[in-house]
Amino acid sequence: MSILPADVMVRFDQVGRRFPGGNDALSGVSFELKRGEFAFLTGHSGAGKSTLLKMMMLMDRPSRGRVVVDGHDLSTLRSGQIPYHRRKVGVVFQNHQLLFDRTVYDNVALPLQIAGYSPIDAARRVRAALDSVGLLGKEKRNPIELSGGEQQRVGIARAVVNKPALLLADEPTGNLDPELSEEIMNLFLRFQQVGVTVLIATHDIALIERMGHRRLILEHGQLVQGGLPTEETVYGA
Amino acid sequence: MARNTESSTRSAGRVRVDPGPTLGAKQHRIGKRAQMSAWLANHQLVAIETLMALLARPMASILTWFVIAIALTLPGALWMTLDNIEQLSGRFQESGRITVYLQPGSEVLAGQALSDRIAQLPNVVTTDFISAEDALADFRETSGLQAALDLLPENPLPAVILVEPPLALSGEPLDTLLATLRGYSLVDTVQLDMAWIDRLMAMLVLGQRMSVVLGVLLSLAILLVVGNTIRLAIAARVDEIRVVKLVGGTNAYVRRPFLYTGLWFGFVGGLISWVLLTISWWLLSGPVSQLAGLYSSQFSLKPLSAVAALTLLLSAMLLGWIGAWWSVSRHLYRIEP
Ligand SMILES: Nc1ncnc2c1ncn2[C@@H]1O[C@H](COP(=O)(O)OP(=O)(O)OP(=O)(O)O)[C@@H](O)[C@H]1O
Ligand SMILES: [Mg+2]
Repeated sequence: MSILPADVMVRFDQVGRRFPGGNDALSGVSFELKRGEFAFLTGHSGAGKSTLLKMMMLMDRPSRGRVVVDGHDLSTLRSGQIPYHRRKVGVVFQNHQLLFDRTVYDNVALPLQIAGYSPIDAARRVRAALDSVGLLGKEKRNPIELSGGEQQRVGIARAVVNKPALLLADEPTGNLDPELSEEIMNLFLRFQQVGVTVLIATHDIALIERMGHRRLILEHGQLVQGGLPTEETVYGA
Repeated sequence: MARNTESSTRSAGRVRVDPGPTLGAKQHRIGKRAQMSAWLANHQLVAIETLMALLARPMASILTWFVIAIALTLPGALWMTLDNIEQLSGRFQESGRITVYLQPGSEVLAGQALSDRIAQLPNVVTTDFISAEDALADFRETSGLQAALDLLPENPLPAVILVEPPLALSGEPLDTLLATLRGYSLVDTVQLDMAWIDRLMAMLVLGQRMSVVLGVLLSLAILLVVGNTIRLAIAARVDEIRVVKLVGGTNAYVRRPFLYTGLWFGFVGGLISWVLLTISWWLLSGPVSQLAGLYSSQFSLKPLSAVAALTLLLSAMLLGWIGAWWSVSRHLYRIEP
């Protein structure tokens, strides 16, 4: 359907999002993420970072333009296909979105249970994911007993347990100290090294500068750095 | 363990940076058969979990159970009663009061004597002789045609003997009795009075209609009650639903526990209703057979048959399921991550 090169994981074409009341959260946003790429998304508060990430999860839809993820134009997905799209994308949110009525283990296992993994298969993956975030010893705990940073890592484990092709994180280090923030970022970097495409929205400029990766900068809904040059924006169409 | 519980942010030292050999970009593919068995396993799991959840906090759902139970018991009881009356009327099909009209101008004393003789026959409980004069007086009183009747030269009404056979008399013995009555020379015509049976049958049909109407109305009540209970359950689990949808839960997956909850509500409600019906049967069957004994009848109250009990249970489960479905389809789709 879309004539995008196979190595493109994410593609935004002139994406605009206008909220009722005329508030343009995004306008004319065009960019590309290659498979296995690692990029930061920054910008002032209210610049549209969360809105941009939500579009890739179909938690929000553009008012204008198109979003292509893993070769699929998201506007063409039927509602029945949305869950299957979401299984390909791991997300980490600042408000961890953990469930406090079950253990850490069950929180991380949820995506696998939904996808229909056998309990044995799931157990192996949950352990691996918890191990990778350093929480293997706390799998039987309730997330409410964990610190903010630990909860954040449970969220990361849940986002990667299903081996997503694309990993999105919205302020994943929001309430962590600099040391832990860097460890979390290195963790994301490790996922990139095994082939996952990673996009992280963050305010933490100091950290970004230290790590030195590709940066997409949003200002009042417009991409002022890291986007596609305007003449390149239409493939095939 | 003490090591783990110390300063939580400091425990960051243990973050392992290596994602490990099992993590990677290649997403695991699941075969069709494995998917099918996973789907079945999930149904099983959800069925058990939802039942456990209901039983773990019975006080939370006991009201719903009893509303369902009572809504089922009312039409169930009516239906059980009608079923019994039908059985009763089936036995009385051929029975009824017999009216024996005597020849016009028969002597009062002869009529009275015949009445007494008939009373001695087998298969006759009592007789009642009504002379022509009495019949006329009766008629005069009830018809309001007094003036017109006074104009008649003679009494147009015949004398009558009312014959009461036992309740359950039918078939051959009844035919024999009728033939005997027709054989008396004083007898003009013999008439088997079936009117009350016709009336009973009409009432029965009416009662069946009523139980259907009642059943439909109370089914609606069950749908509303289950629907409302499920709505509250959904509201209590909004966060969970959001997360499940965020990590790729399908609508079917999200709605499954609620549908099973509805099914279990129906099941438990149906079970309670069955117990209530059985208790009522048990309480009533003694007095009823006593009463039947007084009428020299073998009649006894039938309990709910196995088929009827199963029907009750299954329709309760179906109603619970439909109520849940109705609620889910109204509320679940609005919850998006
Ligand atoms: N549901 C909504 N309805 C109306 N306006 C919205 C809605 N969601 C976001 N906005 C607006 O869109 C703009 C971008 O919001 P967004 O949450 O994407 O910003 P952000 O870059 O993530 O900010 P922050 O760094 O504070 O998280 C803001 O002006 C916000 O008010
Ligand atoms: Mg935000």
